[in-house]
Amino acid sequence: MARKKLVVLGLLGPSLDAGVARNRWERWRPSIALFQHEALVIDRFELLHEKKFDDLANVVAGDIAHVSPETVVRQTQVSFGDAWDFEQVYGALHDFARSYTFNTDAEDYLVHITTGTHVAQICMFLLCEARYFPARLVQTSPPKRADGGASARGAAGSYALIDLDLSKYDRLASRFRKEQERGQSFLKSGIDTRNAAFNGLIEQVEHVALASRAPVLLTGPTGAGKSHLARKIFELKKTRRKVAGDFAEVNCATLRGDAAMSALFGHVKGAFTGAIGERAGLLRKADGGVLFLDEIGELGLDEQAMLLHAVEEKAFYPVGSDREVKSDFQLIAGTNRDLGASVAKGTFREDLLARINLWTYRLPGLRDRREDIAPNLDFEIAKATASLGVNVTMSKDARERFLTFANASSSTWSGNFRDLNAAVTRMATLATGGRITASVVDDETARLARAWAAITATSGGVGAASDSEGALASVMNEAARAELDRFDRVQLADVVAVCARARSLSDAGRELFAASRRKKASVNDADRLRKYLARFGLAFEELTASASSSR
Amino acid sequence: MLIIDGSVGEGGGQILRTSLALSLITGTPFRMTGIRAGRSKPGLLRQHLAAVNAAVAVGHADVAGNEPSSRELEFRPTALAAGDHTFAVGTAGSATLVLQTVLPALLHASGTSRLVLEGGTHNPFAPPYDFIAGAFVPLLRRIGADIEVDLTRPGFYPAGGGRITASITGGGRLAPLVLEERGTLLRTSAEALYAQVPANVAVREVDLFAGTMGWDRAACRPKRIDDSRGPGNALVATVASANVTEVFVGFGEKGLRVERVVEGVVTEVTRYLAANVPVFEHLADQLLLPLALGPGGVFRTVAPSLHFRTQVDVMKKFIDADVTVEDEGEDRARVTVRGVDVSTR
Repeated sequence: MARKKLVVLGLLGPSLDAGVARNRWERWRPSIALFQHEALVIDRFELLHEKKFDDLANVVAGDIAHVSPETVVRQTQVSFGDAWDFEQVYGALHDFARSYTFNTDAEDYLVHITTGTHVAQICMFLLCEARYFPARLVQTSPPKRADGGASARGAAGSYALIDLDLSKYDRLASRFRKEQERGQSFLKSGIDTRNAAFNGLIEQVEHVALASRAPVLLTGPTGAGKSHLARKIFELKKTRRKVAGDFAEVNCATLRGDAAMSALFGHVKGAFTGAIGERAGLLRKADGGVLFLDEIGELGLDEQAMLLHAVEEKAFYPVGSDREVKSDFQLIAGTNRDLGASVAKGTFREDLLARINLWTYRLPGLRDRREDIAPNLDFEIAKATASLGVNVTMSKDARERFLTFANASSSTWSGNFRDLNAAVTRMATLATGGRITASVVDDETARLARAWAAITATSGGVGAASDSEGALASVMNEAARAELDRFDRVQLADVVAVCARARSLSDAGRELFAASRRKKASVNDADRLRKYLARFGLAFEELTASASSSR
Repeated sequence: MLIIDGSVGEGGGQILRTSLALSLITGTPFRMTGIRAGRSKPGLLRQHLAAVNAAVAVGHADVAGNEPSSRELEFRPTALAAGDHTFAVGTAGSATLVLQTVLPALLHASGTSRLVLEGGTHNPFAPPYDFIAGAFVPLLRRIGADIEVDLTRPGFYPAGGGRITASITGGGRLAPLVLEERGTLLRTSAEALYAQVPANVAVREVDLFAGTMGWDRAACRPKRIDDSRGPGNALVATVASANVTEVFVGFGEKGLRVERVVEGVVTEVTRYLAANVPVFEHLADQLLLPLALGPGGVFRTVAPSLHFRTQVDVMKKFIDADVTVEDEGEDRARVTVRGVDVSTR
């Protein structure tokens, strides 16, 4: 028979199940009644009881054997000491749950919570909820006396099965789903984003934000919205009563020297020259709340050490103080650096990275989620309307022109949402009567294109060099990279980056040799690329594979 | 495969038990659908499972869907054989209903079967042991059935824990039953069984019953039951006539007034006596199957119950049953059952 066995775990009820005299059958006894239901076949009953109730347990077991010959009753002694002492009862039941062999493949479990002290019932409930008992709850109730007398058929009363897995309840599930959607929408500022990767990320962030107080690390290019998301996470936690304290934030790039220490950890009066009064510091301000440290990679090593201590111990020493101060905050860190590389270079503490690298989310830049430009454009326009006090609108033509430009691959959106925000602010300000026309758009797109071109030109040295480190680090070890001339390094990094996003070798070849293609009638770009990669011991397949797994 | 709609007619355990009994004897597999459809607890209940499992054991049957609350059951007997079995039924299940399921089949199987039936022996909504032993079995024995039943211990609802033993030797030829007249009224008596309830309950029952019926008080006695697992009370009235003995039972329950218990039995006995037929409603229900699957016969009874009609309908699906009911008016009917020879399988 394929049916799983049904096993009930229950405590003997010293008062509800009481009765050894013959008239006991006249009373409703929950532990007996449970086995008198016509539609419930219970294969085994684990009857837990204290030693002092041995006699009663024997009577109950005997009565069950008669009303339910299908059931095997197994008696187990538990020792509570005081059955109203939460710690003792929970401990005893926890011990039982740990020692019991649950075979959920072959057996279904019910925990009977009608009997026992209220404390015992609560403990049973908690152990079920924590899945120490992989069981549903069963609650029994005495027969109703509506018709004046108990009918023999109803003597068993009734029972209700309660599954604490809330997802099993359709109406509750949809209620929670809506709650989740509201939370996610809140994190996205109500912007109806379409990028699947970004939406998936927000879904996770929403879950983690509400379930965890552990550090969160937000990475991604500048302007991708790290700071904005950090504040939104805090606000969501605040509305769901997950935090009581405040939000404190600082960009670590702005902190230098003694001021850095004191801004973060505070100082006592006279801690250093100029420390005229006492200062609480950001960590204390964030007590019970959230501390957002943007550009955490810019933090000095001393500050990093202090921060690690503060995160781990929930306590730290303000500058100049020998008394520890307590602060329990959730840390959200932001960075656009590859902190792994910083650790390798010795500018970032490995233990701190390990500590904050638990929930890491990479916010994609705007160019990686172009489908979200349109909804963000609407959002920015609405924001501009609010801040300028003018109803800002965009003609259909203007909107199309802007989006065409925005979606073009030549638009790098290097400043990401900051660029979009600035663009809309400028357009809205320049629009007469709040109406953004095609010519306003044209001016703006030209301005953006110039700005991006300038950045690409100047960052050839600095930005590209650090970018190339990242791109190459994923395909070559440090020793191999050290062998490369800077000349090759930059070139190879770009090739690797193109390969990583290309669908095929030929695809990458077409992009890399686009200029020479135009001149020649036919070229074998793929072959040329393969040979180039081979010089560095690389193969196209590895580059795409490593790219997809790192995503 | 025979498909039986379990939701029609009485729609409960009766169709199931009848189908199981017929399937065991004819060897015809069946699938029952819509079991107890529309009830507050639809599907198979424990007492039904007990009957199914007993039939599985007796007929070495392959079975699917014999699970609590199952709405569908498939039953395929492979070999009917006499044997010794112990069947235990949970609290509300009656041991006599299990007996009712397997008895016709064991009367067919050559050899002696010894059954131990544990559970309720005196349950409402099921033939109580006193009826089985006092009315039903004697009639079967009269037409040649080799069957003995004994009550080792009574089991009242809700404690249960009763035990009936039955010894059935099957395979013999039975004679047709002819029971058209009751014959001279020989004796009327009543017993109020009581276990673990105050004796005055039983005393009041017999007093009231004897008084209402005008029966001899000396033949109506309380009877204390000492070996019951739990409390119980039943009023058992017996009407012995020259050709047949009928038994009527009413159950006392906690919270049910003695007057109501007595009233129920009085109503049945009065109806039986007024109809002047040998077979009352419940006995007719029980006789139908053994007769149809054996020698047949003819008997007079009160107007047939829905149970009776449901059984006839189910029977027609399995066998070429020929049951005619002639309504003779005034709560009298003449039932003719043509036996179907299914003994040579």
